[in-house]
Amino acid sequence: MEHWIYNTNILSHAVSLNLDTIFTMWFAMAVVVIFALLATHNLSLVPGKLQAIAESIMKFFYGTLDTMIETENRKHVPLVASLFLFIVTANLMGQLPLRLIHLKHGGELASPTNDINLTAAMAVIVLIYYVTMGIKAKGKNFLIHDFSFTGIVMALVEVLEMFTRPLSLAIRLFANIFAGEILVSIALGAMAYFLPLPIMLFEILVAFIQATVFMMLTIAYIGSAVKEEH
Amino acid sequence: MVDTATVSQMAHLGAGIAIGFGAVGAGLGIGFATKGLMDAVSRQPEVAGKAFGFFLLGAALSEACALYAFVIAFMLLGK
Repeated sequence: MEHWIYNTNILSHAVSLNLDTIFTMWFAMAVVVIFALLATHNLSLVPGKLQAIAESIMKFFYGTLDTMIETENRKHVPLVASLFLFIVTANLMGQLPLRLIHLKHGGELASPTNDINLTAAMAVIVLIYYVTMGIKAKGKNFLIHDFSFTGIVMALVEVLEMFTRPLSLAIRLFANIFAGEILVSIALGAMAYFLPLPIMLFEILVAFIQATVFMMLTIAYIGSAVKEEH
Repeated sequence: MVDTATVSQMAHLGAGIAIGFGAVGAGLGIGFATKGLMDAVSRQPEVAGKAFGFFLLGAALSEACALYAFVIAFMLLGK
């Protein structure tokens, strides 16, 4: 829960880095990249074991995108799939016994998504992506469709959503993982050897559900940005 | 002026109230989601698998409301 904060100066701006988050983030990224490389380096028409797993994962993304976005849906798969795979790996890392390694200043290695900076960064990426896609699809009609009272109010609501959507995305993922860690540590204090186990199993479920929720909401935002207005 | 000890006590009280009321909403939300799942499954048992996926999604979304309250409570505890 505590972070190993490193204070430094970059171009005479005071910057504090959460070093444990950076390390665990790179670890999760490495796991995803190595899995992708291993799964794709010997592609064959009759899939091997790893290729079959990777293909069924891709089928899940294609199916979800096909049901939620109507036109040109499969070009969004790089962002959506890498978000999902990264978040799943990051969330599941929290259940590894990495906390046995003690870092400076009470920092501990856990899932990188227990840091709001990381989830906020991903939410901002999603914001930039869906606004870009909306502007590409609709041009200058992205915000205001018609100059009536309703159109202007809807445009204002849309601008408000540009702030609330990333905020809720970031806080939802962060709070779920963070609350899970607090819950496990409370259970650890209450009854050390038995009570944390079911909660940790539940946290594995939460890891998948939260990654799915993040992915679904990303797809829904992209879909609402690119869909044709009537 | 209010001294810092009183501020800290009131912040802890506020944290308890925050997570309490937040949990009410999330509990209602998950309850309604379960009700919807049960209705759907008892009407059409063959959609159980698909409906359960949507149920998990909806439950996670309404659970997030309690977790917003949890974050606020945790910020108050740090005061």
